[in-house]
Amino acid sequence: MSDTILEIKDLKQHFPLRRGLLGRVYNYVKAVDGVSFSIARNEVLGLVGESGCGKTTVGRSIVRLYEPTAGEIWYKGDDGSRVDIAKISLEEMKPLRREIRMIFQDPFSSLNPRFTVKDIISEPLIIHHAASGKALEDRVATLMTEVGLDPNYMNRYPHEFSGGQRQRIGIARTLSLRPKLIVADEPVSALDVSIQAQVLNLLQNLKDELGLTILFIAHDISVVEHISDRIAVMYLGRLVELASTEELLRSPFHPYTEALVSAIPPADPDICANRIRLEGDVPSPTDQPSGCVFHTRCRYAKDICKTAAPVNRELKPGHFVTCHRADELTLAGITTCE
Amino acid sequence: MTLFRKNAEALPAVNEFNQAVKPVSLWADAWRRLRKNLMALAGLFIVIFYTLISVAAPLLPLFPYEEQVLDHQNLPPSTKPAGEVLLHQKQEYMKKVLAADSRTEMTDDEKAQMASLEAEIKSNPIHQRHYYFGTDSLGRDMLARIIYGGRISILIGIVGTITSVLLGVILGAIAGYAGGGIDNFIMRFVDIMYGLPYMLLVIIMMALFGRNIINLFVAIALVSWLTIARVVRGQIISLKNSEFIEAARSMGAGSGRIIFRHLIPNSLGVLIVYSTLLFPSFIMSESFLSFLGLGVSAPLASWGSLVSDGVKTMEQYPWQLLVPAVVMTVFLFAINFLGDGLRDALDPQSKNRV
Repeated sequence: MSDTILEIKDLKQHFPLRRGLLGRVYNYVKAVDGVSFSIARNEVLGLVGESGCGKTTVGRSIVRLYEPTAGEIWYKGDDGSRVDIAKISLEEMKPLRREIRMIFQDPFSSLNPRFTVKDIISEPLIIHHAASGKALEDRVATLMTEVGLDPNYMNRYPHEFSGGQRQRIGIARTLSLRPKLIVADEPVSALDVSIQAQVLNLLQNLKDELGLTILFIAHDISVVEHISDRIAVMYLGRLVELASTEELLRSPFHPYTEALVSAIPPADPDICANRIRLEGDVPSPTDQPSGCVFHTRCRYAKDICKTAAPVNRELKPGHFVTCHRADELTLAGITTCE
Repeated sequence: MTLFRKNAEALPAVNEFNQAVKPVSLWADAWRRLRKNLMALAGLFIVIFYTLISVAAPLLPLFPYEEQVLDHQNLPPSTKPAGEVLLHQKQEYMKKVLAADSRTEMTDDEKAQMASLEAEIKSNPIHQRHYYFGTDSLGRDMLARIIYGGRISILIGIVGTITSVLLGVILGAIAGYAGGGIDNFIMRFVDIMYGLPYMLLVIIMMALFGRNIINLFVAIALVSWLTIARVVRGQIISLKNSEFIEAARSMGAGSGRIIFRHLIPNSLGVLIVYSTLLFPSFIMSESFLSFLGLGVSAPLASWGSLVSDGVKTMEQYPWQLLVPAVVMTVFLFAINFLGDGLRDALDPQSKNRV
């Protein structure tokens, strides 16, 4: 990789399930089970998958809200130094929190209702002793202008704003320390469609102006395609496919991606809609199927899929897929009707 | 093939009604809302009035609360000087005696008694005193005793509430936030304390360490933080997994900051209501202890001890019970209304915003 800012190697995040008086661990929820990918500087990587597939857990592990069970998360700073976020102590993590920041999903619950907008946006600045007094107020005003809010409203409370405005407040808070890497955890999924567009455009512009790298987590591939350079698809705690946005949508290699892409509602009448319906439910992450975890719902599954787990391999340059049959299958992406 | 237009114009920030409202601070905002609440405002003025009187008691032209004037026992409340009240009582008494004996004239002996009483009243300036709230069985001014008793009762309420809220909030917040072993240790200790009879504990402590006001404060405060700790712990547990706490952690906020800046302010509503309920309960506990003879000791008074003294004579001299009881009840009502109003006023999300 040319200039990698973040490299995740075989990340695992297992949550123990306890039972009984002594809290004996009897099973694990394997929320993330061996995920590897890397993000280049100034890139937007979309991470998609259905609910409960572990995409949020990956994001939270990167900002160390969870202690990873196993694996490595290498972060490369501007000066070229590399740190394994998964291993360092929380104390050593603190300076990195200036550079790696998170945008939260729900703009209603992610802002403290008893803080004014000014308190919310300035909190990271205060924690990291970045500014105080008049300078702090000026920074807050600048940040509010950057995200399209009127600085006159800095003494008001979050409940006085609409959902889109609140998400802007959340973005201003995330940007306040001029981070390098942003983990955006479904930043628009709680907003309605017209506001989604505004917030996405805002993120896009901020990324270009401030040179941000974004890990954009979403469950809606049509949201991700707009902003991402590359897209990673997760299923049941595993990465099933990773490719550039154009390639992933046009010619997916994994049957799950094919189904996801076919579910995008076409806005263009020239696009052929040929929806693939997946049968059955997502298997439980505590009791995963043998072999390929997707074989229970895959319409191309063969005997090998039930016994052997496929490895993640690079089928074409920059196009990774975890499927036994990826080379034999010809799957449909978004195609134009003739 | 993208679904969204790029470079859409960012919208200016407005509230949901497109109004530009001048920003105000939390306290200014709270005061504006409190002012709209008439009951809370009345409560506030009553509390301020009581507080002023209590603080300024030594400066007020009151008779000493412990001074016994044995001629003035059990005088009823009156705006007239004590001498006139005494004379009036004597005359009424004489009329009854005459009626009982079916006489119309007083005997010489009785006339001499009346004359000496009148002379005494004229000569001794002490009979010029006004007892607006009457006197007790030892001839002490009830007004002074109620005001000085209020000083002690209000002080016990304030000190007890502050110490138990501080202890309860800190221990409850630590238990709720830390969880696991620390939580278990603190909450099991609370359970054990709950299991012990509260009054017995206070009585044992008072007996061990002696009867004085400081020990009374300590004894009451030590056993009253338990419920606060439980309430706060529950609040903290329900709040600590919310997203704004995760956001604070993701920006590197320490535990102290999360507890004191995020978690406790968000449980303030419950805390204020509970404290205002606690305040009267301290005054009640103290009254009960005084009633048992374990509270303040004579000649010091508290509202509780005044009421318990009044109960003994309530059939003959009802004002000795009624006056302190009414004074105390008005104060407790005022505190409750004020607390209720404060809770509404301090919640920035409350709907009755002006």
